[in-house]
Amino acid sequence: MTKRQGRLFFIICTLVSATAFIGLTFDSHRRFPGLTNEDKLTPEIIRGKDVWHNSNCINCHTLLGEGGYYAPDLTKITQQRGTPYLTAFLKDPSQFYSEEKHRRLMPNPKLSDAEISEVIAFLDWVGHIDNQGWPPRPIIVSGTTIPGTDVGQPSTHTSVSTDPVAQGEALFRSSPPACGACHSIAPGVNLAGPTLAGLATRAAAIITSPEYKGEAKTSADYIRESITHPSVYLVPGATYSANNQSFMPDNFATDLEPRQIDSLVAYLETLK
Amino acid sequence: MRYRSQSIAYWYFAIAMCLFGLQLVFGLLTASKYLGPDPLLDFLPFDKTKAIHTNLLIVWVLTGFMGATYYVVPEESRSEIYSVKLAYIQLVTWTLMGVTAIVGYMFGWTAGNKMLEQPFPLKIVIVIVMLMFLYNILMTIKRAGRWTVTEGVLVAGLGLAAVLYLPALIEYENYTVSIFYRWWTIHLWVEGVWEMIQGGLLAYLLIRLSGADREVMEKWLYVIVGLVFMAGILGTAHHYYWVGVPHYWLPIGGFFSALEPMALLGMAMYAYFAMRRAGFSHPNSLAVHWTIGSAVFTVFGAGLLGLAHTWPSVNKWTHGTLITAMHGHGAFYGAYAMTVMAMISYTLPHLTNDRKVEGNSLGYWAFWMQVMGMFGMTLSFGTAGIGQVYLERILGLGYLDTQLKLQVHFLMLIATASVFATGAALFIWNFFRTVPRSAATIDSSTSAPDLAPAGHASSAGSG
Ligand code: HEM
Ligand SMILES: [Fe+2]
Repeated sequence: MTKRQGRLFFIICTLVSATAFIGLTFDSHRRFPGLTNEDKLTPEIIRGKDVWHNSNCINCHTLLGEGGYYAPDLTKITQQRGTPYLTAFLKDPSQFYSEEKHRRLMPNPKLSDAEISEVIAFLDWVGHIDNQGWPPRPIIVSGTTIPGTDVGQPSTHTSVSTDPVAQGEALFRSSPPACGACHSIAPGVNLAGPTLAGLATRAAAIITSPEYKGEAKTSADYIRESITHPSVYLVPGATYSANNQSFMPDNFATDLEPRQIDSLVAYLETLK
Repeated sequence: MRYRSQSIAYWYFAIAMCLFGLQLVFGLLTASKYLGPDPLLDFLPFDKTKAIHTNLLIVWVLTGFMGATYYVVPEESRSEIYSVKLAYIQLVTWTLMGVTAIVGYMFGWTAGNKMLEQPFPLKIVIVIVMLMFLYNILMTIKRAGRWTVTEGVLVAGLGLAAVLYLPALIEYENYTVSIFYRWWTIHLWVEGVWEMIQGGLLAYLLIRLSGADREVMEKWLYVIVGLVFMAGILGTAHHYYWVGVPHYWLPIGGFFSALEPMALLGMAMYAYFAMRRAGFSHPNSLAVHWTIGSAVFTVFGAGLLGLAHTWPSVNKWTHGTLITAMHGHGAFYGAYAMTVMAMISYTLPHLTNDRKVEGNSLGYWAFWMQVMGMFGMTLSFGTAGIGQVYLERILGLGYLDTQLKLQVHFLMLIATASVFATGAALFIWNFFRTVPRSAATIDSSTSAPDLAPAGHASSAGSG
């Protein structure tokens, strides 16, 4: 090979791959609006993106898996935590996590109420980007969920069995609805939400107590109500609710099918 | 040193060394936060120290590249630099920009976009500095009316690096699009045009150190850069897998980025065979260490550790974990930090007084402590990352609980990083140990012996 042939090799390689790359870039631009739901990209969300950048969130957290590796990934966070929880958290993270226990803590980002709701809107928009199903299973912020792990099990969409309890259990562990991201079923392990160990027994006690103002007459009713209308009865605890509103997302009544709620209730009723 | 204006390089290297030291201070500070708790939480939290750490890296390496270019171009084009004054104005502006950026980050003045944190006005300053630099270099070459492939590759790499910074100036409303173009800058820098710069400097060093035939070296340089672009351009897609792009980027990114290590392996073979031919007989054996070391460490840090997580079905699990930090450290260090230190080691006997060409034992300690320290750091990040992937991604343990279980790896990280930092401190101390040669005393008759090994008189003219 001569130097001229070497140069020719260089020029051809560069031109061919650069051309292919630019061609695919054009095609990607045609597809971005659909993949990212660009029609839902409101000014509020764009302001939320500015909050995200101005606060330098990305140098601790990852979003779509990109960023610092010092704090949890936030890609699907709004599907795991409701707006009231995230709002309260962003107002004062030290209320929710302890530096003694986890050896690290998020500094208070000092955001205004408007900025908080904008950045949550932004994160919610990001969470709905079609990104090839990443992460392959939910990344949970904190809490030990290995005992209830579903490693190696098929996801809920391929039905595991016709037994409603088994279906409910599988649904509980899949994402969405990602119940397990906030609730463990191990006694005493409280994550973002209270543990559901012994739920059926507790429910029976709650519905007969004077603090209870809801309609439920049985534990099954109570469990159903807690899923569909989380704020009817508030489990005591400053990290579970504020201003009479539970931090649990309130979208399950609409986002889950009645059959799915039935199976969740059937499963949770077994936690005695 | 044949040309007075080559002494510009000394001051670029001096600034680069100061910023390198500062980078490590912030690196150690950042690493200590992995252990926690953090007493500086409210003043200098992780996000700030980390941004400062990575920005200092990019700035000092670029400073080193520019210094190296001011050294190489006069020799290759056989002419003084077009404007020495402009070169110094450029250095002062560049340094002020860097310092402003770092102080700004401390007080929360940031664009908050990973590795492109520079606020918009500073981005403009960066572009202006790059234009000053390219103007000065191109005018030098034009005035000389002579250029070589080695310097051509080097200067083209720097020019393209400036061009690829431009997408970072634009604001994108759609976050996915913003990520898409962020990688045009970051990926196409480190796995494209910076490898051109590395290749150009490597060719320069090998021709000087081994006396290898220039025609042969430059022929292979073309081939290597061709391989870099063949794999690296479409390899950009290994950053696109999970960010909201069409599906076809997955196989494309996997296939082409898996080819990238070939180009890096080619570069290492290029260095090894050139040196073997010369019998490693150049008196500046420290520069030989850094040159070969850089080529070999690039294959490890960039090639092997990059390959480890570049395939989509692997990256699906490792994406966004400490595995990325493992690779990032090994790659940047081997390919770019070491290349700059190779250039410094080669030029220092010419740029400073009272320095033996063959180096001193301090120089070898600096080399081996850095190499071993960085190897240990990649192992620490790597083992931490494997633990993280298994516990958090596969078993579903919470992120914060997983991090607690990685404490032992963070201790290992700090221990190995201390070895590394000691090696770096020795290198920096060795750099500043002797005073620079003043430009007035320089002319070809008094220049230090720039020896090619006996019997290998190079065709390069100044070798
Ligand atoms: C000198 C060459 C290289 C340098 C300096 C380098 C540097 C880096 C850095 C700093 C990152 C982290 C970026 C971020 O987190 O924002 C990264 C990511 C990555 N690199 Fe490299 N790299 C090099 C070569 C390679 C090669 C040759 C491969 C593949 C064979 C590779 C594969 C990857 C992959 C797959 C990621 C993304 C990891 C993820 O986010 O999931 N790199 N690289
Ligand atoms: Fe890359």
